[in-house]
Amino acid sequence: MKAIILAAGKGSNLNPFSNTRPIPMISVAGRTLLDNSLRQLKNAGINDVYIVVGHHKERIQDFIAGKTEDGMNIHCLEQKKNGGIGDAVLQVKEKISPGEYFLLIYGDTLTDENIYSKAQQSFHSFKCPVASICLPPSNESFGNVFLNAQMKINKIVEKPKGSNFGNYVLAGVFVLPESFFSLLKKNKHSMEKSLQTMAKKGDLMASMWENEWLDIVYPWEILQANKIILDSWSESSIAKSAVMESNVTMQGVVKIGENAVIKAGAVLEGPCSIGRGSYIGNNSLIRSYTSIGSNCSVGYGVELKNCVVLDKSGIGRLSFVGDSVIGENVDIGAGCMTVNRNTNWEKIQVKNKKTVFSTKMKKLGAFVGDDVVIGAGNTIQPGTVVLPGKKIPACYSVTNKT
Amino acid sequence: MCGINGVVGLSNISEVLFQGIRNLEYRGYDSCGIALMNKNNLVVRKNTGGVEEFFRKGDILSAKGKTGIAHTRWATHGKVTYDNTHPFTSCDGAFALVHNGIISNYRFLRDGLIGEGHTFRSETDTEVIPHLIEKYYKKYSSVEKALVKTLNTLEGTFAIALISIYHPDQIFCARRESPLMLGIGDELKFVGSDFNAFIDFTKNAVIIEDNEYAILTRDSYVVKSFLTQEEIAKSITKIEWDSETAKKGGYPHYMLKEIYEQPQTINTVLELDSSLMDEVVDMIDTSDRAYFVGVGTTFYVAKFSEYLFSSLTDRFIPALSSDEFVSLAKVDRKTLVLTLSQSGETFDTISALKFAKSKSAKTAAIVNVMGSSISRLVDKVILQGSGPEICVISTKAAFAQIITLTILALKLSLKTKKIKQREYDASINSIRELPEVIQNILNERSGFIHRIANNYSKVKNWLYLGKGIYYPVALESALKMKEVAYVHAEGMPGGFLKHGTLAMIDQDVNSIVFIPPRSDKKLYESTMHSVEEIRARSGFVLGVHFDEGSKNKNLFSEEIILPNVKPIVAPFLQLVIGQLLAYFTAISLKRNIDKPRSLAKSVTVG
Repeated sequence: MKAIILAAGKGSNLNPFSNTRPIPMISVAGRTLLDNSLRQLKNAGINDVYIVVGHHKERIQDFIAGKTEDGMNIHCLEQKKNGGIGDAVLQVKEKISPGEYFLLIYGDTLTDENIYSKAQQSFHSFKCPVASICLPPSNESFGNVFLNAQMKINKIVEKPKGSNFGNYVLAGVFVLPESFFSLLKKNKHSMEKSLQTMAKKGDLMASMWENEWLDIVYPWEILQANKIILDSWSESSIAKSAVMESNVTMQGVVKIGENAVIKAGAVLEGPCSIGRGSYIGNNSLIRSYTSIGSNCSVGYGVELKNCVVLDKSGIGRLSFVGDSVIGENVDIGAGCMTVNRNTNWEKIQVKNKKTVFSTKMKKLGAFVGDDVVIGAGNTIQPGTVVLPGKKIPACYSVTNKT
Repeated sequence: MCGINGVVGLSNISEVLFQGIRNLEYRGYDSCGIALMNKNNLVVRKNTGGVEEFFRKGDILSAKGKTGIAHTRWATHGKVTYDNTHPFTSCDGAFALVHNGIISNYRFLRDGLIGEGHTFRSETDTEVIPHLIEKYYKKYSSVEKALVKTLNTLEGTFAIALISIYHPDQIFCARRESPLMLGIGDELKFVGSDFNAFIDFTKNAVIIEDNEYAILTRDSYVVKSFLTQEEIAKSITKIEWDSETAKKGGYPHYMLKEIYEQPQTINTVLELDSSLMDEVVDMIDTSDRAYFVGVGTTFYVAKFSEYLFSSLTDRFIPALSSDEFVSLAKVDRKTLVLTLSQSGETFDTISALKFAKSKSAKTAAIVNVMGSSISRLVDKVILQGSGPEICVISTKAAFAQIITLTILALKLSLKTKKIKQREYDASINSIRELPEVIQNILNERSGFIHRIANNYSKVKNWLYLGKGIYYPVALESALKMKEVAYVHAEGMPGGFLKHGTLAMIDQDVNSIVFIPPRSDKKLYESTMHSVEEIRARSGFVLGVHFDEGSKNKNLFSEEIILPNVKPIVAPFLQLVIGQLLAYFTAISLKRNIDKPRSLAKSVTVG
């Protein structure tokens, strides 16, 4: 069966990270969402994949070009204008023959186990179109699904109002027939309406997903995604070429990539992940749910906690980064601190451009975009978004002018 | 777009071939065909139409063979006709082949072959392939060499599977751009357009890539490049697949499936033989003394019935746990012992029954499994017909028993003129409406209950409280929590609080209170009193109630609100909530849902 991954969207709520990449190219626990999906597809026995690209398409094209794993046939198709999900699906129309079924995947979702395999199994036994459904932590922003006793979906209500009751929601994984394309055209390219039409006709079965599932919409959800993946790990691994100096303490599940260097006195509290070629300085403390990308540098005495640091970033000595996401190629100077709570323990608000989001979290740090430079000695307010490329000067209390 | 598959094995594989090609039907189906190697003869059958129809009408399964290939077609070149249906054979009938893809130079090849004397029967592009192989076989006297030469002559895309009389126990296959996979079973080897062709038999797949061909026998396979003829080492991909899924019908666990099947089991109970129920009602009515006997969940079903009969009829029928029965019960000829068991094999209940029979008591039972020991042991048995219950935790079977007992109580009440026909009909109607109400709860509340279960899965101690008939609801719901989530939960009558238990209430002990509908005024008020007692000690209360839009908002720490129903069916809805809460807590704690520790489906030991 062919799989289609939708990866064209802008995902503007995910700024500053979606400014510079499509959502599926965000890495958690050392691997991009897209790579995660592709691996799960392979394990589900699916080798022919079409990725619909648009926003920063080059990131995905380069990634696919550099992927050497055998047995996978991956092609990119471009969605030229931003026409929504239905329009993105229609980009693949020519690749699917009449009568053929395909697996449709939203690229911004993440699961701990293989949801594609589960959807395939449901399709294999029902022999009719299937939508994966799940129970998310909150349901306001999803399509709510109503079932009958035979697992047939008989109603889909988009973003229900007025009721505080959660239902099963669409998990962004479907097995659909080629005839779905004409349904989309009839419904003015609306995915919602097309699925509703199918449900009304009784043509759509549910495949229930009870494991972890996350639709990554906001930057702090990257931390949740990271936790889901790290929690799914059951064993540690340390690459043969990694260098571990004396007095390195490790607890729990720790993964260390090739050629990483862990200097003496470092403490690694699992679950955590250190990418290939990264350097962890002396006496640094890497606390649980920290994922450090490849070729990063963490200075002497740095404390990291519940954070995602993307590739090629540096964190200067004696800094603290917690409950934060740091982009690629970020340079954080010595002695910087991401403050991660309000003094009165009120829930953190995140200001992204002009919109203020109230999170439900009492502890949350900063979201630092790619290529940012933060000079030494800066203290960052909880919930701060730093846009890509921004240069923040060092913060001195004593200068040559005083 | 077509689907192809092939199977080679030791014994007849036509059934396996059929299953495989049926699972590939999603790739297109306007015609279908197979070729089987019967000893050294090629048997080819084909027809237009779907796979199922083809196999049934053509009596295809009667064809025998140890090697075979099959095809389901979606026409691209040539109309949907018998002649255009795969497999295609060579002029001499030595080769049969199925193909998925498009041969772009087929006109050129075909003209050449016709010039050389080959006869074509179809309009398809595919038919050139067996003829080419025949031609090159004559030249090289080797099927493999002929195949490689042919593959290098073809332009376009293909995935093919080939059998020939020269190697009756081999399948040859090859790929360029069209999908192809091998399935590596112990006794059987497969080739297919994708894993759907063989996943019911093996999860080990080898992915064939472009410009590769493979030769399969029952015991081995080899993959080579048709460009260089060099052998290629392939790794086996183990496809993640849970073979139980089909039986679970899309549900992640049997427990959830069986919870969702409860609306259906209510309908089944409503259709049970009414005269048989009347006979059991007569047995109760004519007895001097009667007991409900069960153990574990069915003890709570019995307890529930104790309340039911006391409220609906003039009879007090105590519930006894099977294992305590011998110590407690007074049994004689005029005693009726009504036992409850899902499996009908429960050791403790059988012991109780044997004791009762030794005292010449009358016996009856409600069981789910036909022909089970208990069903054979008793004078009268009601088979509840809930269908197999596979999850070790009983949900739908216990539920159906409670419904059955409610109907028995109503019948007795009517018979003894405690209620009028009109009231009886109204109550039965409420039960008839129950499936839809429960279906709505499952649809509309499960997400919310899931969220509550996630938020409180770390709670170590729960008190489950209820009064009146809601007390057995609390007991049964607490047992569900213990059984599947391994969380300590204590079921207790609400009135117990002020007799000591209140001392335990603090922020570490959470309570769930099953609150009756407001129309059940007395019970409602005294239950709410318990809630206030806990809240006064800043205890956590999860209220399960029927008071939508009430002003009690701040009374509960969390609440699950149920739709307003008649008091007689209200406890059933609470039971469903108890099941879902236990299930989702177990999910959150990553428990082994369908096979929890320390519990077997039917406890057959003492």
